[in-house]
Amino acid sequence: MTLSLQLFLASGGILWLTGLYGLWRNSDPIRRIISLNIMGSGVFLVMVTLARRETSTDPVLHALVVTGLVVAVSATAFALRLAVASQQEKR
Amino acid sequence: MNAALVSMVVPFFAAMLVLMWRPQQQSWLVIVASIVSLLAAMMALLSVIDSGPQSLNLGGWESPLAIRFQLMPVNALLIVTTAVIHLIVVCFAASSHHCQSIKQAFWPLALLLHGSLVALWLSMDLFNWYVTLELLGLAAVSLVTLAGHKALRAALDYLLLSLFASLTYLLGVVMLYGQYGTLDIALLATLTEADRVTQTALLLISAGLMLKAALWPLHLWLPAAHSSAPTPVSALLSALVVKAPLFILWLLWSRVAPSELAVPMGFWLALLGGGALMIGGWSACRTPHLKTLVAYSTVAQLGYGLLALGLLLHWQLNDLQAALWLFVVAHALAKTSMFLAAGEIQASTGKKRLNSLRGMTLTMPVALFAFAVAGGSLIGLPPSGGFIAKWLLIQPMLIEPAHWPWALLVIIATLLSAAYVFRVVSQGFRQSSVSATATEHGKSAQWLALLPAILVWLMALFSEPLLQLMDVFSA
Repeated sequence: MTLSLQLFLASGGILWLTGLYGLWRNSDPIRRIISLNIMGSGVFLVMVTLARRETSTDPVLHALVVTGLVVAVSATAFALRLAVASQQEKR
Repeated sequence: MNAALVSMVVPFFAAMLVLMWRPQQQSWLVIVASIVSLLAAMMALLSVIDSGPQSLNLGGWESPLAIRFQLMPVNALLIVTTAVIHLIVVCFAASSHHCQSIKQAFWPLALLLHGSLVALWLSMDLFNWYVTLELLGLAAVSLVTLAGHKALRAALDYLLLSLFASLTYLLGVVMLYGQYGTLDIALLATLTEADRVTQTALLLISAGLMLKAALWPLHLWLPAAHSSAPTPVSALLSALVVKAPLFILWLLWSRVAPSELAVPMGFWLALLGGGALMIGGWSACRTPHLKTLVAYSTVAQLGYGLLALGLLLHWQLNDLQAALWLFVVAHALAKTSMFLAAGEIQASTGKKRLNSLRGMTLTMPVALFAFAVAGGSLIGLPPSGGFIAKWLLIQPMLIEPAHWPWALLVIIATLLSAAYVFRVVSQGFRQSSVSATATEHGKSAQWLALLPAILVWLMALFSEPLLQLMDVFSA
């Protein structure tokens, strides 16, 4: 594994941990949703990096990332709507 | 295999169809779809008994690329249980007058939940489990929001935790894929070695799954989410949804993980199960609210599942598989009954607190009876499904004298569960200062709440074929 790949893997891990920290420290729903998305980006970065390990890119991992992105987008939309609704309820 | 696929596809199609249906007839469509799904599930179970496990590669792709579905005795049994509970809950929602306001949105979401659960039971692929877990989580959270404004906060917390758990799970899955280049459970089982990466990946996956299954000490979201949801939803969540991650956890540690990792992990899982039994039981004895008590009882009872799983791994005893899955089935039925009865009582009195139960033996005898009968199975009174499962669990502890601490743990847990069940029932027998007004309209809903409790006691009568089914599997 080349140095640049290791660098990408490490940044994926750091992104995941950053998101985890944000989720743990914040109580505001919007901030927590953003933290979750940062965690998600970390996982996806690890996935696309692993796909580049060999000379031919691994299509399975790319397919998984695309599926994961679809899940992440729809879940984020739902979470944002819920956050807005519960914020309106408070007022 | 085809019958199992029908059992999965019918709820999905019905969910789409029900949106276009006329509101007055929606309940009939949903009930018919549930019956068809149940019949198909039963045919799948029979075909597994006849001709053994069957598998299917989706889209005809070959092994490393394929998403594989497999039908085994255990998941055939789970598919039948899922269909039975869905049918009962759907009939309850159609007949209970307290569920009128939520119906329109409840039907399609409940059907989606049903379909995703069956898809999860059938999958044998790490990434497909991720997708089905997300489907399940989104459907479950949407169902919780049906309780109205008060439940929104609990629903949001549930969603965020569920998404966090999914990402933890996904990171572990990616690490496993990076190491071994496959997502298929059967292929992974032949490849895994006890190295650092595998261990980290398995721990990440387990942490995500334990959070989703509300296994102690990651259970804190469960009482809020399950007790604030509408009654039929609480029943579905507590009976079925939390069992799905447990199923994956079991396959992962008993099949994929090499035994060098599984044996020490089993000890810790069993210890956490013991913690769940103690803390969950204690909290259930302390809480002043009825539905929260039932929700804490779920936390405690999941501890039995975790204890059985942990000891199965730690002692490498395949016999405990039967204990684990009978626990899951018995608890699913008993908890459905308990939540439906508790919800019906709470809706008719309009109060959440336990002391509002006074005089219930006169006003709602059937609902209270359902609660007591279901409680009997949770405690493990013979001859109920809960008793058989507990007996299977305790047997290896009694054979080996050195295992006495585990047996003691189970006995204390039994006493705790007896304490919280009697806490509710004894309130019902107290004299009420308010004059009792008999509620006629809730009769059919009350009887439906009793039905799963009766089924769980019937499990004892059919314990012989059930145990044979489990034996077929472990052989």
